[in-house]
Amino acid sequence: MQTQNRTPKYIDKVNYYEGIITEVHDGSVAIDIKGRLGSIRIPKRMIISDYELKVGQIVAFNMSFIEQISN
Amino acid sequence: MSISAEYAQEHINDPAVLCCRREAGTKLSHHDFEDPAIFDDLVSSGLLKLDGAITIGQAMGATLTKTLDSLNPVLKDCVDKVQEAAAPAAVSSAPAAPASSNQGATTSVAGGKLKIHIGEGKGIDLEIPMGLAGGAGAAGTGASAGAAGVSSGAAASAGGEKVVRTLTRKHYNITEVKRGKETKIEGTTLYIRKGIEEEAVATQELVHDLKLDIITKDKYHTYSETIMDTQPIATKEGDSELGSGVTRVLDNVVMLLTGTTDEGVQIGEFGSSEGYLDENVMWGRPSCPDYGDILIRGTVKIENKKNMERPGPLAAHKAFDVITQEIRMALKELDDSLVVNTEKFDQVRRPGKKKVALVKEIMGQGAMHDNLILPVEPVGVLGAHPNVDLCNVPVVCSPLEVLDGCIHALTCIGPASKEQSRHYWREPMVLELLHDKEIDFAGVIFVGSPQINSEKFYVSRRVGMTCEAMDVEGAIVTTEGFGNNHVDFTSHIEQIGMRGIKVVGMSFCAKQGALVTGNKYIEAMVDNNKSEAGIENEILGNNTLCPEDAVRADLMLKALMAGESVKKPEKEWNPNVKSQNVELISNVTGKPVELVKNETSLPMSEKYKKKYANAK
Repeated sequence: MQTQNRTPKYIDKVNYYEGIITEVHDGSVAIDIKGRLGSIRIPKRMIISDYELKVGQIVAFNMSFIEQISN
Repeated sequence: MSISAEYAQEHINDPAVLCCRREAGTKLSHHDFEDPAIFDDLVSSGLLKLDGAITIGQAMGATLTKTLDSLNPVLKDCVDKVQEAAAPAAVSSAPAAPASSNQGATTSVAGGKLKIHIGEGKGIDLEIPMGLAGGAGAAGTGASAGAAGVSSGAAASAGGEKVVRTLTRKHYNITEVKRGKETKIEGTTLYIRKGIEEEAVATQELVHDLKLDIITKDKYHTYSETIMDTQPIATKEGDSELGSGVTRVLDNVVMLLTGTTDEGVQIGEFGSSEGYLDENVMWGRPSCPDYGDILIRGTVKIENKKNMERPGPLAAHKAFDVITQEIRMALKELDDSLVVNTEKFDQVRRPGKKKVALVKEIMGQGAMHDNLILPVEPVGVLGAHPNVDLCNVPVVCSPLEVLDGCIHALTCIGPASKEQSRHYWREPMVLELLHDKEIDFAGVIFVGSPQINSEKFYVSRRVGMTCEAMDVEGAIVTTEGFGNNHVDFTSHIEQIGMRGIKVVGMSFCAKQGALVTGNKYIEAMVDNNKSEAGIENEILGNNTLCPEDAVRADLMLKALMAGESVKKPEKEWNPNVKSQNVELISNVTGKPVELVKNETSLPMSEKYKKKYANAK
């Protein structure tokens, strides 16, 4: 069902990113990626936390560059 | 790095590879071997070849005849003699199904176990407790302790089978749903009172609008906002309490709750299933409408920005339940002559059989990640407590309470893997365990998944303690979706496993939902994935637990409890593992396991084309 033209080539190369939590809701969290590299908004269950989530906390994750795989 | 003696014993059948350079004449011990856990990476990167390597068990105690460098496999011609492995190689065919006795030549019956030897091939030895081997073993059990229990039927009931409670479902057929002056059921026609929507809206401050539609099969190509929940319409008869007595249920009609905020943001914005119904619903999944069902759809509008706050989705559910409740009251009035079918569920305890509990992890992070537990009416609201307010601690329910709608699910994100209220109404794992005469099904433990790690470990320790107190020998742990709920999911398995209880885990994993953490007790897992690509494909119910998964988990647990081992998982998700297991089960039990369809059976939606495919 899902068609794509290419398989991604560079997704194994992951880089370290940090971000700041900018919004916390019951269901979601918004994060600005440090270095003006964009922002993401994710459901709460996709973030692992030792403490209660608050605006201003720093988060970190590994991510590869995003590749276009269809025309 | 060398490995410990204990670890070497656990990996006695893994290839022996030297961790450091060893001179000829060295007598090999566990100090000399590399950790087998890292071999996959080394092999895939070409640094290590395992061809011809003998196992750690065979190499232990042997003397090297050649000097070998580190990371060299120990070959047959490098040692003076190949040791006989202490334990017979645990061939245990993957998630093994218990073999029926007619598969091989029975060689011996000893110690309460039926030993089958299959001569052909590589000399596979299977040990199966008498209880699992059907009638064939009954003759041999006479003299043994009898703890394993005889096969089934009258003999088993003589061993103290006890029906704890019974639930009867009376089914009423509905062929048409209309709007009318009052809510009532006449024959097979359900009338819903005109204007009931306004009353429902008035009960909830956050709900600003509610629109009711009747969608029949010929109108399935209708646009719908994201589906929040699918609910059966059922009510208790007389003074019956939830989980026992008599329940009345309407067939061929379900309640379907959908909604957005005033400005049109979907409730459940992450991975929502809005679109044409026929393209976004996996019909027939336990949690979904069946193809042909009449859908009573409520489209709710809630206050802006409340879609991701806890009170928003809850208000939508409460308002919609006002309508369902009025139908329930009408259903209570019906005459028994309209009953088309009666189902009876017995909760049977079987002392002497292996005691098993089902642990169901439900979401408890807040917002729509919440569930109302134990309402007065099946899948109702009144009388129920949200598991978030109960601090997500374990709540033990009887299997019949589950089948009677003790969970009103606010259902989380991830349409493909979320378990809607209807899922619990016909939960395949509960049904499988309930009908399995070879085990003693003790109960269902619901545990919420909180947000914060310390809370996750708090609740999982309670799960471990509950299982310990229940004295179970086996447990199946299920979860819905993926994300940080896998942290506590794996912790539940650890807490149960460390108490010597055999555990099987069930989750959507595949490609996208791989576990983020692990421990040594996660040895048996069943993947609920059905999607072609192994992803959350936004088709409602696609990757939820189905009978084909329940059969595998049940047999896997029984195999584990019988002392079998489960093959290690492959490094990457491989859908063939499932098909091989299903084939094995079909061959051994003689009952073909029917696999459900996946998203490829649906017409491809425009949304999907735009989002995932190369839309031309």
